[in-house]
Amino acid sequence: MLAHAPATAVFTLMAHNAWRWVIGWWRIVHFGAVVGVLALAPGSYSRRQQHEIARHIVLDTAPVLVWFTLLSSLLSLVIARIVVVTALSYGLTQYALEMVVRVLVMEIIPLTAALFVAVRCTLPHGEELAGMRIRGDLQRLRERGLDPLRHEVLPRAVAGLFSVALLSVLAGTVALVLAYLATYGFTTWALDGYTRTVGRVFSPTVVVVFALKTLLFSLAVVLVPMGSALHDATRSRISAEVRGLVRLFALVLLIEAGSLAINIL
Amino acid sequence: MTERDEQPKPIAHVGFKAALLLAALVLLVAGSVVFLLYARGVFEPTQRLTLVADDSEGVVVGMDLTFAGFPIGRVRGVELGDDGKAHIHIDVPKKEARWLKQSSVFTLVRSFVGGTNLRAYSGILTDPSLPDGAVRTVLRGDSTEEIPKLVASVKELVTNLTALTNENSELAQTLANLNAASARLNGQRGVLGMLFGNERDAQRVVTTLERTNALLARLDGMSAKADTQLFGERGVLPEARETIVQLRGLLNETGASLKKVDAILNDAQAIAGNAKIATQDLGALRTEVETNLRKIEQMVNELNRKWPFAREVEIKLP
Repeated sequence: MLAHAPATAVFTLMAHNAWRWVIGWWRIVHFGAVVGVLALAPGSYSRRQQHEIARHIVLDTAPVLVWFTLLSSLLSLVIARIVVVTALSYGLTQYALEMVVRVLVMEIIPLTAALFVAVRCTLPHGEELAGMRIRGDLQRLRERGLDPLRHEVLPRAVAGLFSVALLSVLAGTVALVLAYLATYGFTTWALDGYTRTVGRVFSPTVVVVFALKTLLFSLAVVLVPMGSALHDATRSRISAEVRGLVRLFALVLLIEAGSLAINIL
Repeated sequence: MTERDEQPKPIAHVGFKAALLLAALVLLVAGSVVFLLYARGVFEPTQRLTLVADDSEGVVVGMDLTFAGFPIGRVRGVELGDDGKAHIHIDVPKKEARWLKQSSVFTLVRSFVGGTNLRAYSGILTDPSLPDGAVRTVLRGDSTEEIPKLVASVKELVTNLTALTNENSELAQTLANLNAASARLNGQRGVLGMLFGNERDAQRVVTTLERTNALLARLDGMSAKADTQLFGERGVLPEARETIVQLRGLLNETGASLKKVDAILNDAQAIAGNAKIATQDLGALRTEVETNLRKIEQMVNELNRKWPFAREVEIKLP
C-alpha cells in the first residue's frame, strides 16, 4: 500500500495536469469562438464601441508602426545582404533573390510582426484583463448590465488583429523594396526581372498559405494571452502571464511548422 | 483606486487616426494584390505555346521559358496528353513572342545544381513568327540522365574489349596466324612458302616456272624457224607474191575476153530484134494469105453452086 500510494498520487497529478491542459486550451478555443461571434455581430459596433475600438487600434498600432518598420527594415537588410553575398560566393546568384523574398516576406516578417504585437500589445492586454478580473472590475461591469467581453475584450482583440495585419503587410512591402536594393542597388534596370521573380515566388498556393498564416498568427497572439488571463484560475498575474506566453509560443511554432509543411508539399 | 482614476487619457482625433490606419492597411493589401497579379502576368496579353516532352520531371507551374537568358514566357500548366507525353503549356506575352520563330528550337535542361530550365533558340530571326497555339517538341538535355547510358555503353565496351583480348579470342588467333605467316615469310621459300603453306607445293611451283622458261626458249627457236620459212628467200611469201602477179595478168586477159563476149551478145541482141520484126511481118503475111485463101474458097463454092453439073445439095436428117 505504501509503495502504491506515491505512484497513484503521481498518476493523479499527471491526469489532473493533463485535464487542466485540455480545459485550458478548450477555454481559449471557446473564448476565441465567442470573440469571433461578438466581432461579427453588428450590435458590437455601437458608436461608443466604435470609439473604443478606434482608440485601441490607434494605441496599439500607431506607436509601434515606425519602430517596427525600422526594426524589420534593418533585419531585412542584414538577412538579404547575408543571403546575396553567400549565394554569390557559391555561384548561385540566380536563386539568391528568390530565396531572399521567400525567407523574408514569407517566413520571417509575419512571425516577427506577430511576436512584436504579442510582446508590445496583447500580452500587456492580457495582464490588464487578468488584473481587472482579479480586482473584480469585470464582475462589477456584469452587475451594471454590461458585457465585459464586448466592452473590454473585443476592442483589444480587434486592435491586436489589425495591428498584426498592418505590421505584416507594411514590413513585407518594405522588405521587398530593401531586398531589391540590397541585390541590385539603386537602379531600375532589374525591375522587370525582380517583378517576375516575386510573381514566381508568390504562386496562388503560397499567397493563400501566407494569408492564412498571418491570420492564424494574429489570432494566436490575440486570443491566447487574453483567454489565459480571463480563464486561468490563478491568483498570480505573473503565473497567468507565463502560462499564456508558453501557450502562445507553442501555438506559433505549430502554425509555422504547418505552413512550412504545406509549402513543401 | 477609483473608476475615475482608471479612465484612459483621451486621444485627439482618434476616429480619423483609426480610419487612416485602416485605409493604409486596405491600400497596402490592395496594392500588394495588384502588384502580385501584375508580376504573374495577369494583365499582359499572351499567346499559348505547347511543348511536348517525353518526361516533364522538374517542370513546375510558374517556371520561366528563357531566350538568350531573358525570361520570355511562363509555364501555365503541365498535363499528360493522350499520346502519353507531357504537354507543357506556356503563356508567352505578345511583346516577347517576336523572338519565337517557326524554326525555333526548345530545350529542357536539368542541371546537377538548381532547377530545370526551359530554353528557346531562334537561329534565323527573319523566319515567320510562331503562331498562337503552336505545338512544338522539346529536346531534353539532361546531364544526369546521360550517366546511366554512358555507364552502360562503357560496360559494353569493356566487355567487348575483354572478349577481344581473351586468349581464345578471334583476335588472338588472328595474331597467332599472322605471326606464323610472318615466320614463313622470313623462311627459305618466302612468299611462296607463306602462300602454299608447305614446301612441296612451293617446290612444284618453282619447277613449273622452270619448265615454263624452257618452253618459252623452245618457242623462241620455233618462231625463228617459222620466220625463215615464211619470209626467207625461198619462203612462202615471195612465191605467193609471184602467183598474185600472174593471177592479175590472167584476170586482165579474162576481162578482154569478156568484153568480146559482150560485143557478141550485143550483136545477138540486134539479130534477135530483127528476127522479132520479121516474125511480125510473117504474121501479117499469113493473115493476108489466109484472107486470100478464104476468098478463093468462097469463089470455088460460088462456082460449084453456079455450075450445072453441080451435085444436088440435100440435107439428110438422121
